[in-house]
Amino acid sequence: METEFQRVVVIGYGKAAGEILKYIADRQADYGYRLEFIEHEQHALSVTKKICEERGISFSVLPDKRELGGYLNEIQEKTLLVSASNNYLFPASLVERAEITIINFHNALLPDYPGRNAPSWVIYQGEKRTGITWHYVTAGVDEGNIIIQKTCGIGPDTKAYELTEQLMDLAFEGFTECFDAVLSEKAEARPQAFSPERRMYRSTEMPGEGFLDLQEEPEKIYRLLRSVDYGKTGVFPPLQTEVKGARAEVLRYRKVSPEKKKEEAGTLYLPLADGNLLKIKYRLL
Amino acid sequence: MEEKVLEILEEYCEEALSYEGENMMEEGVIDSFTVINIVSELEDVFDIEIDAKYVVAENFKNKEAIMDLVRRLLEEA
Repeated sequence: METEFQRVVVIGYGKAAGEILKYIADRQADYGYRLEFIEHEQHALSVTKKICEERGISFSVLPDKRELGGYLNEIQEKTLLVSASNNYLFPASLVERAEITIINFHNALLPDYPGRNAPSWVIYQGEKRTGITWHYVTAGVDEGNIIIQKTCGIGPDTKAYELTEQLMDLAFEGFTECFDAVLSEKAEARPQAFSPERRMYRSTEMPGEGFLDLQEEPEKIYRLLRSVDYGKTGVFPPLQTEVKGARAEVLRYRKVSPEKKKEEAGTLYLPLADGNLLKIKYRLL
Repeated sequence: MEEKVLEILEEYCEEALSYEGENMMEEGVIDSFTVINIVSELEDVFDIEIDAKYVVAENFKNKEAIMDLVRRLLEEA
C-alpha cells in the first residue's frame, strides 16, 4: 500500500482519539509513515499516554495554543493531521500549506450543528437522529468537504455523555472506512450545502442559557437536563434554577417510577408523559 | 456499603469485580464513560456528592479504591 504522507500526527483526547491512534499504529507497517500523538487538552481519565508508551508512539503534551501552533508550523514533510475530539482551531496559515492535510471528526451531521458541544444541542432541540462527520479542515470552522458520515438514533432518555460515547464509536468506525482513501488521496469528498439559517454553536453557549425553568413542560426540562449531562467532566457548569423564589443549583436528576417517590428536602418530582417521575435534586444557593 | 458498591459495579462493569490489579483505567477494564455511570449511580444510591476532583484514575483503579472513596465521602457527609 502506498502513500506520499511521511508523517501522521493525531491530536485529540478521549476514547475516539485513543482507538484511532491504536488503529493508525496498527497500519504503520502497511504504509511506513511516522506516527505521533499530541495531547492539547488534558483530562483526568485520559489513557492516550499509556497507549503511546505501549506502542512506542511519540507523545507530546502541548497545552499552550501558541506552542502547539509553533510546533505544527515547523512540520516540513508531507503530513496528515488527524484531529479526533480536538478543540484546537488550526490557523489558516497551517491549513493552507500544500504539504499539510488535516481531517477532523465532528460530532454531528454537518452542515448541521457546527461548533462546540453538538451532542448537547441535538438533545436539547429534541432531534431524533444525529451522527458524525469526518471532513477536511479548511480555514472556516467545520466547513470543509465531507469525507464520510455515520448516523445514529437519539433515544428518549439519552444523556449527552452517552451520546458522546456512541458518536466516538461511530467516529472510529467511519475513520477505519476512509483511512486508506485519505492516505492515497483518493477520498471522494463532497462540499457541504450550507443553509442561510446555519448557526455556529460556541463554547460559551449553554442550552437553556444554563437556567432550568421549572414552569416549562417536564419533557423540555428533562431534555435540558440530559443535554448538559457530561457527568463530572465540567463541560458545563451546574444548571441554575429557582425553587419557590429562591435561587438554586441542580445537583442531579433521575427518571424514577412513581412508587420510588420519597419526600425529602432538596428534592422535587415532576410528572413525565410516560407515567414516570423526573426526580431533581437541588441545593439552595 | 460494600455490597451496594459491588452491585453497582456488577451492573456497569462486571469485569471490575474480578479485577485484582492496580489500574482498571489504563488496563482497559473500565473507561471514562463507565466511570460517569458509576459516579452517577453512587451519588444516587448513597445520596452523596462526588466532586470532580475525586473523579480521577486513582480513585477508580480497582473496586477497593472505589469503596474507599465512598467510605470517605460518607464519613465527610
